[in-house]
Amino acid sequence: MAAPVRPRKLSGLNETGPAPVQFMQTEATLAQADVSDLDLVTRCQAGDTEAFDQLVTRYRIRVFGMIYNMVHSEQDAWDLAQDSFLKAWKSIKRFRGRSSFYTWIYRIVMNVTIDWLRKKQVKGGGSEFDDSIQLKHIEPASKTVPKSEALPHEMIERREIRARIDKAIAQLSPEQRAVILMKEIEEMEYHEIAEALGCSIGTVMSRLFYARKKLQNLLRDVYENI
Amino acid sequence: MKTFEEKWTAWLDGQLSGRELAEFEASLPDRAAAEAEKADVRKLGALLKRELGISAFANEEFFSHQLRERIRESSVPSAKWEAKASTWWTIPRLLWTGTASLAVFLIFTVFVIRDKNPAEKSQYLTQILNARVDPVVSPNATVSMFEVKQDRVTVLWTEGLQSLPADYAAK
Repeated sequence: MAAPVRPRKLSGLNETGPAPVQFMQTEATLAQADVSDLDLVTRCQAGDTEAFDQLVTRYRIRVFGMIYNMVHSEQDAWDLAQDSFLKAWKSIKRFRGRSSFYTWIYRIVMNVTIDWLRKKQVKGGGSEFDDSIQLKHIEPASKTVPKSEALPHEMIERREIRARIDKAIAQLSPEQRAVILMKEIEEMEYHEIAEALGCSIGTVMSRLFYARKKLQNLLRDVYENI
Repeated sequence: MKTFEEKWTAWLDGQLSGRELAEFEASLPDRAAAEAEKADVRKLGALLKRELGISAFANEEFFSHQLRERIRESSVPSAKWEAKASTWWTIPRLLWTGTASLAVFLIFTVFVIRDKNPAEKSQYLTQILNARVDPVVSPNATVSMFEVKQDRVTVLWTEGLQSLPADYAAK
């Protein structure tokens, strides 16, 4: 089971400090923690796959989590995360360090995922949800509360809530999904979201407005009763 | 100029300050309802964070392993391409070779056709056509030629010619 990885501040390439501490404690060795994203990117640009491997190790959980919350399928999220990292490797030489590596890779992730969702909508095949998963691997808040065995009725309730949330998110456009997840889960700033999505800050705020309105309507009874 | 949606979102997220904040809050028709809405959005955010904030990512090492494999495989085609490119027959060379071959063919064809046509005419005929009739000896002499190439027939029509000079004789 993976540890929670949600550092508040994203590591910027222009920053001299190490990558997010929380992340490093869970996903990288202490030796790796001393290496900044920028150093690793520079090595990647020289063709060092080992350095890229370290970057993948740093960000794979967050990338996977983000994609999973957008597509609601573990297998698809895995494939899309693979595609995103592969694309990042192929275009790493074009990375100029004007933004953080995390924002840069998020842009790739968003492009790959939103394209996939759009194609899926056009094809219209398959259900939006992967019911086979049944959220068996998802243990909300398992790392932030004292570990205790959930009672069966609590587990059922959790699954129902999760299913309601997934269903509600599925009713948002891919762009709205991306914005609400980046804001509420990743706690990214408006400008970081705008950069990742390649749009203006105003567009981000507008999408956030409509995404929240829709989710409020769909989930009010859920969060009012918690 | 920010739209209402943008200002509202910024207000909910605590991104408005100073004069902008005061102006926006003053413009709200029902401040209490707006505050309730803000609390509502915070609850929604907390719910999303709690439920979606953690996703289990099993087989992390296999993920990285698979990615390494894909990176390695993706570099193989380019290596093959480089190997192909290192041979003598590059695309520019192929183009140049093709163009040069076509040019040689065209030149050869033109020369063959040009050489073939004169051969169809007899040397004697050429001699007659190129000759000038001496106006002193034959003042009214005319020489005309009719030729049907497909039948390989040529008729030489002479009028008023007393005699042909000796050097005009067919050889």
